[in-house]
Amino acid sequence: MLWYKSWLETRWRFMIGLVLLMLSATSAVLIYPQVVKLLPMVSTAELSGEMARRVAESAELARNYRSYVWSHWFSANMRQMWTLFAVLLGTGGLLAQSAGGGALFTLSLPVSRNRLLGVRAATGLAELLVLAFVPSLLIPVLSPTIGQAYGVGDALVHSACMFLAGSVFFSLAFLLSTVFSDVWRPLLIVLCAAIVLALSEAFFPDLSRYGLFRVMSGEKYFRGDGLPWLGLLAGTALSAAMLYAASKKIARLDF
Amino acid sequence: MADQFIIETEDLRKSYGQVEAVRGMNLQVPAGSICGFLGRNGAGKTTTIKVLLGMARPTSGQARVFGLAVNDPKASVEIRRRTGFVSDDKVLYGYMTVEEMVRFTASFFPHWRTDLEKRYLRKFELPPDRRVKALSSGMRTKLALLLALCRGAELLILDEPTSALDPAMTEDVLRALVAHVASEELTIFFSSHQIAEVDQIADRVVIIDRGRAVVTGALEDLRENFRRIQLVFDGEAPNPAFRAPGIERVYRKGRILTVLSSTGADGVIEEARALEPVSMEVLPVTLKEIFLETVAVEED
Repeated sequence: MLWYKSWLETRWRFMIGLVLLMLSATSAVLIYPQVVKLLPMVSTAELSGEMARRVAESAELARNYRSYVWSHWFSANMRQMWTLFAVLLGTGGLLAQSAGGGALFTLSLPVSRNRLLGVRAATGLAELLVLAFVPSLLIPVLSPTIGQAYGVGDALVHSACMFLAGSVFFSLAFLLSTVFSDVWRPLLIVLCAAIVLALSEAFFPDLSRYGLFRVMSGEKYFRGDGLPWLGLLAGTALSAAMLYAASKKIARLDF
Repeated sequence: MADQFIIETEDLRKSYGQVEAVRGMNLQVPAGSICGFLGRNGAGKTTTIKVLLGMARPTSGQARVFGLAVNDPKASVEIRRRTGFVSDDKVLYGYMTVEEMVRFTASFFPHWRTDLEKRYLRKFELPPDRRVKALSSGMRTKLALLLALCRGAELLILDEPTSALDPAMTEDVLRALVAHVASEELTIFFSSHQIAEVDQIADRVVIIDRGRAVVTGALEDLRENFRRIQLVFDGEAPNPAFRAPGIERVYRKGRILTVLSSTGADGVIEEARALEPVSMEVLPVTLKEIFLETVAVEED
């Protein structure tokens, strides 16, 4: 029943995330014919430097459907929205409950704090897994409707990269939720950290090849260089370490 | 520590930073008793209860429930498996319905009493389909009580069970508790700052002040042993140093000397005769007076 309780507490965040991501995936597929029609009108003549390079690169990627899906979905819309919902699903929990009440009832149950925390983390991660895979799998399903094809294997690999590396944001929000008793501070801190990370990856291309967002989008795999094993391993290890730290923190807390 | 005590603490202390909420608490709650835990707001009642249930860690000292150490995480789970609890805030999960709340709680307790669940749902007139957040505070208290009573627990720990209830609802809840104890074998440890309700249902009392137990004992014994001895003199009352044990307080006002004893009146009367008072009267002391006197002594 702890699973049921965790589900009830997170279901709206999860459902909203799922609906938005599915709508976004659907629109990414359906607008592709319009994007193709607009491509001849793209001109970089009036632009220069980095901006011109980026516009040219985007136009080039959009000429091929697989590239378009990667650049428009896995590397942009999905990455941003999924990160937001990873943070949202990571916040809350026992300490936040103690501020609003209800924590004492939970703590009076014959359940260890580790189990309470473990079920909460597992529920959040399971929901994130669904958010990573289900909307992305819509792409191979919907692509034939516009006369295109997208591999299920590609969708699975990119979704797995998104989940394994991106769970760092969930775990950080989860850890901070054992430090702050409100939901806002963990939320804002992790979102600010994500924005700083995204900007630094955008402005320092040399650094970005090791960046978390690049691993999340599975760029290495997209460019045919194999899976980003090191990044995935590091992301998973960092996530596990933060969840472990959260369990240690909650075990010492007085309510 | 002996096993006949369901709850036992020895020099228990709990500090939050610089604030010492519990300061050397010594408690002994025998099996089968209804023990009222009486103290003013902020006296350390809730903190003590939180320590007993593993919600807060003791800073020092010992605390055992069912003979199990409260600061051992595994033992703490076992303690909670055998204990029903109502917190002072009575906050439950607002997003669940009454029915869901009952099913959720029942799933953790193998000895859940379905017969009691049905009885109390009917008696407390709790609507199964209504969300907890839509219940009045009185109904929420009743639901919290139902969830504690049906656990099949050996010990009930109730933190201010009737706070925020109107007098009629308070009476309802107290009656339900008394009826429950009459039909079940269990120990009740309940905190309150309402002397009347402790007087109504408890057979033992622990009065605490500023994190320490200042009076402990069976209510009957306290009523039997606490005496107020009033001595009236011809002139100004003397200021004697009584040697009899259990002198809690001595007041002088004009010609009247009043002695509060916690060990009966005999010793005081014997010593007082030597002072040659004009009259001597021994008066019984109510629980309210004991509470006010002992807490007042601590304040001085």
